[in-house]
Amino acid sequence: MSVLIALRNLLQDRFRLLLSITGVALAVMLVLILEGFVAGLYLQVGAYLENSPGTMVVTQQGVTNLLGATSLLPADAEREARGIQGVEAVVPLLSQFVILDLHELKQPAYMIGYPLGSGLPAERGGPWSLYAGREPEADDEMVFDRVLAERHSLEVGDRFDVMGREFEIVGLSDGTTSWMTSFFFIPKSAAEDLLLAPGATSLLLVTPDAGADEGQLLQRLAELDGVDALTKTEVIENDTKLLVEVFSAPIRLMAGIAVLVGVLVVGLVIYTATIERFREYGMLKAIGSGNGLLYKLVAVQAAVAAGLGSLGGIALAAALAKLIMIVRPEFLIVLQPSSIVIAFVSGVSMALLAGLLPARSVARLEPAAAFRRAS
Amino acid sequence: MLRLGYRNLFQSPTRLIVSVGGVALALMLILSLDGILAGSERRMTAYIDNTGADIFVAQSGVRNMHMASSSLPTSVLGDVQSIEGVLDTTPILYLTNVIDVGDQQFLAYIIGVEPEADFGGAWELASGRSTSGAGEIVIDETVAIKAGLGLGDQVDVLGQSFDVVGTAKGTASMINSVAFIGLEDFFRQRGTDETISYLLATVSGEDSPEAVAERIESNVSGVTAMTRGVFSSEEAQIIQDMGSDIVALMNGIGFLIGVAVTGLTIYTATLSRKAEYGMLKALGAKNSHLYITVGWQTVISIGLGLIVALGLTLGLTVIIPLGVPELEMLILPSALVKAATAAGAIALLAAMIPVWQITRVDPAMVFRR
Repeated sequence: MSVLIALRNLLQDRFRLLLSITGVALAVMLVLILEGFVAGLYLQVGAYLENSPGTMVVTQQGVTNLLGATSLLPADAEREARGIQGVEAVVPLLSQFVILDLHELKQPAYMIGYPLGSGLPAERGGPWSLYAGREPEADDEMVFDRVLAERHSLEVGDRFDVMGREFEIVGLSDGTTSWMTSFFFIPKSAAEDLLLAPGATSLLLVTPDAGADEGQLLQRLAELDGVDALTKTEVIENDTKLLVEVFSAPIRLMAGIAVLVGVLVVGLVIYTATIERFREYGMLKAIGSGNGLLYKLVAVQAAVAAGLGSLGGIALAAALAKLIMIVRPEFLIVLQPSSIVIAFVSGVSMALLAGLLPARSVARLEPAAAFRRAS
Repeated sequence: MLRLGYRNLFQSPTRLIVSVGGVALALMLILSLDGILAGSERRMTAYIDNTGADIFVAQSGVRNMHMASSSLPTSVLGDVQSIEGVLDTTPILYLTNVIDVGDQQFLAYIIGVEPEADFGGAWELASGRSTSGAGEIVIDETVAIKAGLGLGDQVDVLGQSFDVVGTAKGTASMINSVAFIGLEDFFRQRGTDETISYLLATVSGEDSPEAVAERIESNVSGVTAMTRGVFSSEEAQIIQDMGSDIVALMNGIGFLIGVAVTGLTIYTATLSRKAEYGMLKALGAKNSHLYITVGWQTVISIGLGLIVALGLTLGLTVIIPLGVPELEMLILPSALVKAATAAGAIALLAAMIPVWQITRVDPAMVFRR
């Protein structure tokens, strides 16, 4: 019976219920979008290494990630790595973050200088999915990220400056976009010229022989002078960890504010719904109902408002994420099942917190209130 | 009518508190995100703003430090020094790397600068001294605190061990910190002393930095020369351009939440006084009179919400750096204007809900039981 009374009380003013559900939904949506944005960023961070050759990465000693730090290997590291037993192939790369000035917008992009040669570009650390055009064949040619190109109205055949040198876009790549780390590809020799570092190499992508013991091979590679050797998984994890540290504080702050807003919205609705029914609650007390029943009435109303709001928020977040990714494809928003569960639990927690104030009012209500005139 | 609106709103203090609190939080969402970005911009440009150089010379086409790379041949040093109006120059080497302390890693801009240079290094030391020789490093004080490091302790940077001889103030941002080592250590690590990253210059009193920067660009090939102000704003532009989409999204959500919360409050306040509004109508009050009443309630709620939001955000600007020193919040006048505009728009939209209710109030209802 108590559930029925609670539902009736809540549904008595549908517009108010709708507003409260909207408030909670927006708060939950904000939490989910924030979480989804960060989760998407993490996935995009690993895109290059996941699609490049080999299973190991040799970096400058002390450098344990790709995006967070600049690596510069000793001059003969590549030759020595090739000579190690158990190594099948080595791909040398010269890579560096650069800031592109595109249409007066500062666009961070990660430049990959990879060796030209035969075979697929992906086998040499180049683009793994070409949407249009071809891979570079000369030092003034590049493959540019397709989404970034579309955003800045660039096409195959267009030319623009990178660090004072003009490059022609000869290909557009897919799967290389990200809010922070869109990739573009140039020949390694062009990167050496650009960075005034002839013969320089940032890192080596190492493919072990079939059947080689990867642990032992990593150890042998790490014994080379001035280098560190890591698995690709470790490098991706390190990049992700760095990003977590960067983004966790502001994201937590925003999510915290969103949850507070949600608590206030549910609290406001349940409080007003409760005080408007004070006489009825007083009547229930007068005919012998204990505080337990009244608490239950308040809790059910709070849970229904927050539950519906949470479900609405999850649906809104899914729709908004889709819309954002259509309008701005460089944003990847991934709504992970764990985040959805957390958002729902947050919604229910909002209900419990929000129910505290009206529950207190109900507990202090005198049965005699039923016999007074409504104010 | 204004008095009636005022009384109606303050009749239930709890409801008013919740309403003002909701609006305040929604506006705080807008203000705090702006504050975080503005604070990040200031931290990000801290080195450029404070290190003492008037002009920054970079590789041609390079207009940033953050996430950027610049390489200049060392011959540029003499070329720039000979330009009229240049008082002094300091070469620096720069790259993004990590400070290794046991299992902990701290992302940092490593800057190699000559120990005896008058500018280009740390501008305020929290403890210790500047580097004076090989194998020495100055790190940010928040990194030192986080890692439990003291003067004389060792850290690994660029694959080499360094002794911490000083800690610097104001060199950490949300993203990373700045660490200073000797230029020679940096050259040794790179295996070449033929290139530098940036050349920093000061100008003599007679010439403006703008004029000298122009002169450098005209007379030295392959370089971009920027005054401190220009270089700093180019750097801040990265944060603005990267953050603009996220800011727009958060502002939009904060705005919607504000509308929902305020609309809900004024709606329930109006609903509970429906009979009184009916009475007013029965006594001859026009709809416009009642609109003023609810409009006034909305304006008061939003106005108070804006004041509380500002107070809460200012509180955050003090509290957050205590817990997270690298995260700075800065409230700029432009953010206040934006929040006030958002508040006005929220008030306008939120007031439409009770207005719609009042239009439907039947004067005859006052005679019903």
